[in-house]
Amino acid sequence: MKANFFANMKISRKLVAVFLVTSVIAMGVNIFIYFNLNKALEKINSVFASNVSLNELSDNLNRIHTGLTGYLETKGTDDLQVYYSATQSMNGLMNGLNNTVTDNSIKLSERDIRNMLETYLKTADEAILAKRGRNIDEYTAKYNECSKIKDYLNTYIYSVNNEQFRTNSENYMALVNSLQYTEVMSILIFAVASVMNILLIIILTNTITRPLTRLSAKAEEISQGSPENVEPLEVISEDEVGKVTRAFNEMLASIKDYIARIRTQLITQSEMKEKNLLMETHLKDAQLKYLQSQINPHFLFNTLNAGAQLAMMEGADRTVEYIRNMADFFRYNVKKSSETVKLSEEIELVDSYMYILNVRYSGEILFEKEIDEKLLNVMVPSMIIQPLVENSIKYGIKDLEPGEGKVTLAVYREDDMCCIRVSDNGIGTDEEIIEKIMNHEKQPSETRGVGITNVMARLDLYYNNKEVFEMKSRKNEGTHVTIKIPLEEANV
Amino acid sequence: MVLAGIVLVLFFATMAGLFYYRETINKIGEVKEEAYNEYPRLYAYIADDPESQLSGRIYKEISEYAVQNNCFVEMTGQGLSTSYSKADRINIAISSKVDGIIIEGDDSEETKNLINKATRKGIPVVTVLSDSAGSSRKSFVGLNNYSLGTEYGNELAAIGKETNTYPLNVLILLDRDDGNSDDIIHSAIQQAVLGKSIILYSEVVDTSTPFTAQEDVMNILDDLSKKRQMPDVIICLNDRTTESAIQCIVEKNLVGKTTILGYYDSDTIKKAIDRGSVYATFAIETKTLASHCIKALNEYNNTGFVSEYSAASYILINRSNISQYDQEGDENEG
Repeated sequence: MKANFFANMKISRKLVAVFLVTSVIAMGVNIFIYFNLNKALEKINSVFASNVSLNELSDNLNRIHTGLTGYLETKGTDDLQVYYSATQSMNGLMNGLNNTVTDNSIKLSERDIRNMLETYLKTADEAILAKRGRNIDEYTAKYNECSKIKDYLNTYIYSVNNEQFRTNSENYMALVNSLQYTEVMSILIFAVASVMNILLIIILTNTITRPLTRLSAKAEEISQGSPENVEPLEVISEDEVGKVTRAFNEMLASIKDYIARIRTQLITQSEMKEKNLLMETHLKDAQLKYLQSQINPHFLFNTLNAGAQLAMMEGADRTVEYIRNMADFFRYNVKKSSETVKLSEEIELVDSYMYILNVRYSGEILFEKEIDEKLLNVMVPSMIIQPLVENSIKYGIKDLEPGEGKVTLAVYREDDMCCIRVSDNGIGTDEEIIEKIMNHEKQPSETRGVGITNVMARLDLYYNNKEVFEMKSRKNEGTHVTIKIPLEEANV
Repeated sequence: MVLAGIVLVLFFATMAGLFYYRETINKIGEVKEEAYNEYPRLYAYIADDPESQLSGRIYKEISEYAVQNNCFVEMTGQGLSTSYSKADRINIAISSKVDGIIIEGDDSEETKNLINKATRKGIPVVTVLSDSAGSSRKSFVGLNNYSLGTEYGNELAAIGKETNTYPLNVLILLDRDDGNSDDIIHSAIQQAVLGKSIILYSEVVDTSTPFTAQEDVMNILDDLSKKRQMPDVIICLNDRTTESAIQCIVEKNLVGKTTILGYYDSDTIKKAIDRGSVYATFAIETKTLASHCIKALNEYNNTGFVSEYSAASYILINRSNISQYDQEGDENEG
């Protein structure tokens, strides 16, 4: 959570955070050590406090005694004041002294000092009273006693002071030694904290620079070519580098997409070119075969026209009709060399063809049409029906008795399809042959004239291999060939 | 990841270091207050010579016994930067309002007055070893000096018999400050040796300061040597005198010629018994002595009355029983 928080911070804030964290750690350690060291120094200072208070006691006693002496000598009020004020502060100081009997020598001496002070103060008071009563002998005796006690007290204080000084000095030495030890310790702590800070700086700055390094490495990879093989960078942080990384990834993705699109376009274009080329090749192949198999239509067409004119002049109307039909048939072939044509035109061609054949075979072939008139304007590739009709006649009904053969052309709509069916009542086609034809295994050379195979190949090319061609047959029940043309592609 | 681990370890190390640092700083300030016991009563012990072994021994026994009986005894004037006179020490004890004073008494007026002063201030005084007769002290814990004298006499008779030296010249070294106790011993010895061909003569040794005793003993022996009257036996009635006499005998190469009947059982004296320069010595039953002192003060403080006199006796130490005596002493100390 925290790591994420840090990762999502702005770089400038990150840098400030790094600086602050390390500074705060260093400062914290410093302050901690400083305060503790100060505490230790205070303790060292307080070591000799007991000596100081004993000295105070001694000074105060001397002040009392000076006051007492002065008062007894001159009865001076100033001296008395000194005496009283010192006595007062002495009472305060005395309270700090031990008052119990113990087996601790210093404590016991304190008790002795306290009691002797009490005796001293009592005797001194008595001396002052005696002075007021002008009883010279008594106050002299009391004063002497006070002097003695003062002398004892000073000795006691001095001795206790000495004893305490010895103890305090030992404590002081112990403290100083400990302080040296803590000095070494504090240096060690500083060193450890510094190393920690340095490592912390390394880690935190690494988190800032690592994404940049990764980004630059990726850019280097892209600049060396083939950006489509470069994987996008993982976005670790939401800082400026994170944003740049994200933009970089988007850029990489759009480069890859662009390259892919160009590639697909190129493939489609080349496929189209290839298809067109094939279409042309097949058409030309069909035409060549047609021309090879037929007489040059132009020559024939002209010749036929001359024949028709001749027949007209001779008044032979049926001959004129026949020759015109032949002329139409060949004209169609000449005219519709490569384009798509209307279905009606294809049907007209079949009509002409059937007329010619019926003249040739003396009306033996029965030709029926079941045409849905709405579909006459459907556009289809040229020369697709006539070869089928020709095929039905050549292979389907040729062996039937004259007048029995029948070819039916039906054009009807089935869903979104325009269906063109050519059927005959001939001997039928072997399934083996149908399979061969459907699998494009039957070579055009094996069929005479413009064969089914050619029609199928062209339809495949034209309708992108959609299964638009269907062939069904039963022995002695004829053959049905259906072409299903998708209406949306038929440019109605 | 490794770096982060190291940082974590260092962080904890720093925290632990700081914590330890603070603890150390807190600890160095703590001055160990020595454990001590409190007592309801404080008694002062004032010896003639606080430095002497006997005083030290008595103080030790008194202290031990006192602690067992819930009171504490301080040797007034000890451990101070100045050595105070006995009178000063009594004064200090009075000024510091102790609950009782155990003092080695003497015949001086000053001591008597101070004892009286203490009594006036409500502080009971018990004299020990020697009395301050005529003072207002509450009790005297003494030694049976007469029987000591008799014992000395018996030992002299034994030496005479052993060495077959007749008449046996005996020098008694008396203590100048010791009041009448030495006189009692002296007269007891005299009584004990009556009609036994033993010649007694005495000299007084100044033991008022720690350095005079040895010089005095040396001077006395020098004088006797000049007079060719070296004694066969020297009787010492004081530990310091005994040790000084041992030293003089060794220095004068008199071991074997002159023997000593000593007083007290210091290491030096015991060694001398072992080596033969001391025939025998009399050790005080310090334990009994100490217990009598504390009992007397406690009894007075509790009831306001106490018997005026109680006594401890002496133990004879010679070559035949010294090892046994040492053993007992070690056991007691142990």
